[in-house]
Amino acid sequence: MLAKVYSVAHIGLISVSVEVEVDVASLGFPSFNIVGLPSKAVEEAKERVKTAIVNTGCSFPQKKITVNLAPADLAKEGSCYDLPIALGILLASGEIAANGQLDNAIVYGELSLDGTVRHTKGVLLVGIFAQRNRYKKVFVPKNSSREAAVIDGIQVLPVINLASLIAHLTGIKKIKPASKVIIDKLMRDADSEFDFSEVLGQEQAKRALTIAAAGSHNILMSGPPGSGKTMLARALPGILPPLTSKEALEVTRIYSAIGLLSPGESIVSIRPFRFPHHSSSLVGLIGGGSKPMPGEISLAHLGVMFLDEMAEFPRSVLESMRQPMEDGKVVISRAAGRIEYPAVFLLVAAVNPCPCGYLNHPKRQCQCSLRQIERYKRRISGPILDRIDLFINVPFVEAEKLEGSSPDTSKEIRKRVLSARQIQTERFASYQNIYTNSQMKNKHVKLFCQLNEEGKKLMRLAVEKHALSTRSYFRILKIARTIADLNNEKNIKLEHLAEALQYRMRVF
Amino acid sequence: MTKSQNKTTGKIGEDLAASYLKDKGYEILDRNWGNKWGEVDIIGKDKETIVFVEVKTKVGYLFGTPEEMVGFKKLSQIQKIAAFYLPAENSPKRIDVVAIVLSPDLTPERINHYQAVY
Repeated sequence: MLAKVYSVAHIGLISVSVEVEVDVASLGFPSFNIVGLPSKAVEEAKERVKTAIVNTGCSFPQKKITVNLAPADLAKEGSCYDLPIALGILLASGEIAANGQLDNAIVYGELSLDGTVRHTKGVLLVGIFAQRNRYKKVFVPKNSSREAAVIDGIQVLPVINLASLIAHLTGIKKIKPASKVIIDKLMRDADSEFDFSEVLGQEQAKRALTIAAAGSHNILMSGPPGSGKTMLARALPGILPPLTSKEALEVTRIYSAIGLLSPGESIVSIRPFRFPHHSSSLVGLIGGGSKPMPGEISLAHLGVMFLDEMAEFPRSVLESMRQPMEDGKVVISRAAGRIEYPAVFLLVAAVNPCPCGYLNHPKRQCQCSLRQIERYKRRISGPILDRIDLFINVPFVEAEKLEGSSPDTSKEIRKRVLSARQIQTERFASYQNIYTNSQMKNKHVKLFCQLNEEGKKLMRLAVEKHALSTRSYFRILKIARTIADLNNEKNIKLEHLAEALQYRMRVF
Repeated sequence: MTKSQNKTTGKIGEDLAASYLKDKGYEILDRNWGNKWGEVDIIGKDKETIVFVEVKTKVGYLFGTPEEMVGFKKLSQIQKIAAFYLPAENSPKRIDVVAIVLSPDLTPERINHYQAVY
């Protein structure tokens, strides 16, 4: 007899339908074969399925079993086909009857040997796929069911073990659908290691970080060791606005796809903050591998990526970030296929001004030779620096400032950031995939960053005097827009533009 | 169970399989025919086809079914040996498996005959 169960395969973040066809032939020598380009994990499903069925108390048919995962030319990865295969075998051998209950349903999950359905990665993607393709029900592992429960319009049935699924289909004991998870209620403010009021002095840096947080602009901090660059960056999550539900869903897609959500977790509730070490490889940062996986830049999607000691990163690694920084996505092409991951992130970079760290220090002598300094500065290329919006100096803190305390707490700064973000949300409400000023394309800049006569004159002067690139020109306008938003002004004024220009002065 | 007991079980099974096939109208050409690569339990003739039969016998189900014990390796071994069986040179050939389960008193519980398994 033939049985058909619907499941899902993921290629990066894209899901496609997989039909699990199981045939239990009455004739032929007993065997168990899986066809349809199964990977090693799928091939091993044989042993898990067989043992799980026996340990659930059902009999495993001693017949010729053929499992086909259609479409046959798509390579199937992962352990998520265990449950549909087991169910298909039970249906095809006549152990249970579905009576049309599986016609509009997706079955997805990994089995353990005792028949328990384990936490499986990619359940959120299954939910999104089911909603888009008008499936009514999804049978998913109970531990992962809260991921799919955020999706409207589908019934999520959490499966504890194979026995409970059999009981559901035979009508002995129905599985209770998972209650809907409201994303907005789960969102929290990120806890940061440090509060902004703990960082002494550095008012200019704090102002620049506020602008960076408000408009999601890339920022580079340069300063001697111990001046507070790392501390400032680590305090940044404390002033970032919480994720909106739309953003949270986008971030969670990535985390769910590679199994970074822990069992029972529903959604990524705080803005990502990633800080890869400077020994990270290119693949680790950008993504890749024989089965293309997202890298740090995609894990930092809609959040912050902090590169401490940026000049210590290998040049090739930094250069590879150029294109993703501009496009907000990264396309990884490998023999196995071409996969696109989103990578919209706020880059925070910290560098020392020279190898010894004391160049231009008011009290200490720099030990480096001119050649050394030159070589050090060359480690970060022009194109990368051109993509950074805000440059600030984090100078040595004078003795008298060490005793005082900073007036602005993270909480207050976050309020300002939030109101600026609110303005942006309203501005970009009708645009797809734009959340902040920094994501504006040139046509949007022309639309939203109108300058008055004075402003145009100043920009003309700046372009001539500092030989600004076209990209820099547009970036300055975007920063000016964010500063105006922070001041709750409708139009960009001269003072906003002047402040924006000041942050473009290279300090590295 | 010792090795010699296994051998007896096998012998009983092969005898059972031979008479089972005879009843089905097969002509038994050879028993335990082989060369240096091993031997085939039964070589029979079903109409025009020369049939190479692997017999697998088990006592009870404690260690799995006899079907599970016939793997790809065993079947390819039989195919290799069968190539040397000259009477079959110009006739159609196939490989069958007879799976036998005996009860503890060595009487047959079931006999299954699978045709053309390889």
